[in-house]
Amino acid sequence: MNTKSIDFQSFVEWDNSPFILFDNQGKIIYLNKVAEILFGYVSKKELYDIALSYAPQNFGYKTTAITLNYDSFNFYAITVGYENEYQLSFRLYSSPRIKPAHALEKDKLIMTDINILLEANISLFKTINTNKLQLLTDQDLPSFKIDQNNFSKLLRKTLNAFRSSDSIDISLKLLIGQHVIIDNAKVAIVQFSIGANGRYTDTDHDIRSLAILSQINCITKEHTLKLEIPLIQ
Amino acid sequence: METFFTTSNKIQHIIKSFNLIKTLYVSSIIIGDANTGKKTLARYLFPDAPMVSGENQDELKTALQNYDEIIISDFEKLSNQTDLDFTNKRIIATANYLGNPTSIDELFAFIYTMPPLQERPDDVKYLHHKFSKEALDTLMLLQTDIDLNTLPINLSDNSKSLKQSIYSHMIKQTIAIDDMREILYDYFYTHLDGNDNYRKHIGLFEKPLIEAGLKKFGSQLQLSQKLGINRNTLRKKINEHKID
Repeated sequence: MNTKSIDFQSFVEWDNSPFILFDNQGKIIYLNKVAEILFGYVSKKELYDIALSYAPQNFGYKTTAITLNYDSFNFYAITVGYENEYQLSFRLYSSPRIKPAHALEKDKLIMTDINILLEANISLFKTINTNKLQLLTDQDLPSFKIDQNNFSKLLRKTLNAFRSSDSIDISLKLLIGQHVIIDNAKVAIVQFSIGANGRYTDTDHDIRSLAILSQINCITKEHTLKLEIPLIQ
Repeated sequence: METFFTTSNKIQHIIKSFNLIKTLYVSSIIIGDANTGKKTLARYLFPDAPMVSGENQDELKTALQNYDEIIISDFEKLSNQTDLDFTNKRIIATANYLGNPTSIDELFAFIYTMPPLQERPDDVKYLHHKFSKEALDTLMLLQTDIDLNTLPINLSDNSKSLKQSIYSHMIKQTIAIDDMREILYDYFYTHLDGNDNYRKHIGLFEKPLIEAGLKKFGSQLQLSQKLGINRNTLRKKINEHKID
């Protein structure tokens, strides 16, 4: 089959796995859509360094199984290759998302203004803690359907993980360009994120369990906790 | 409607949080010592919600079937806590203590702690004033009958002990000698039993007499003169009644 006449660029452009083409100085010559989003969470230099470390010794392509995590991006392998001295291609393979075992009963979910729930939870947090809180939130976030009680529990526990942290930063924003598929429908994602100089991890298991119930993706790190909440309409 | 007075920062945060979730279907619980105003606060925030005690399991079951908004008081008295389904209900529970922390954690989205009166000096002042006025009205006394500054502030059982101590102090202050006789008469009438009653009950008179006398006159010597009894007799009685 003659493939020379086929323009592969749009296939790569819309691929779900990030693809980046570097020049020999580490500058980006090309990147596909998902790689664009990935650069919101990782620096160009870090990815270029990884590409160099895993590049084949001679011209050609080399695939290495390696686990990489950048926020909600999880990769299980990479392919680095070059056919000349000027272009280095780097492809990261996205780990498939595990299909949630818990099906959402949409008719039981209630339209909710997340800002109200968040504010109420912050007031609750303030009855127990005197830590300094910094809140950056998008007041224009549309209401969406959620199990209010379960989600409130999740917020309480998430905030509680920061009970003795100094200057806690809380943010709530729409993740532009990112979606999750629920019941075959594309759903936008709101990210709730808390960061501080440290946090308790004793309730991480509970937080994950509660998040699963509402099909929320939970990203736990040493100093931060992020919840990616589907904006179900 | 009566407002809920408080200057406590903690309670103001609780009120703010409740006001925000008033229209949402979430379950909340207020935990704190008895008589700290938990039920009053729940009633103030949700004036129309039916209130069911945790003691009445069947009544609560029926209420959960019929209403979307319920106040459950004495939640700690409920034995089948894990069987409850609060899905899409607005529950406001109150409890005197935490009980089973795991089931509370699983059932309630919002868990508030009501601070005791000891931690709320301004609230104590307000309640003290309120109860004093109420007691004056109820007992039909005039402000001039009572020295309001000498009213006790007993917070051992929060507002209950505060209120009781004010009433009891006011009654004591206005009691006449005939009332005292009547009280003693009633007491003796119910308690005279068996033998040796004189010795058993004489302390009722002697103990306060000696205690007040010692405070007033300072020394046993002076008091024995004022009482017109021998110093040794007084000392014997002091030992007998274990007076310091």
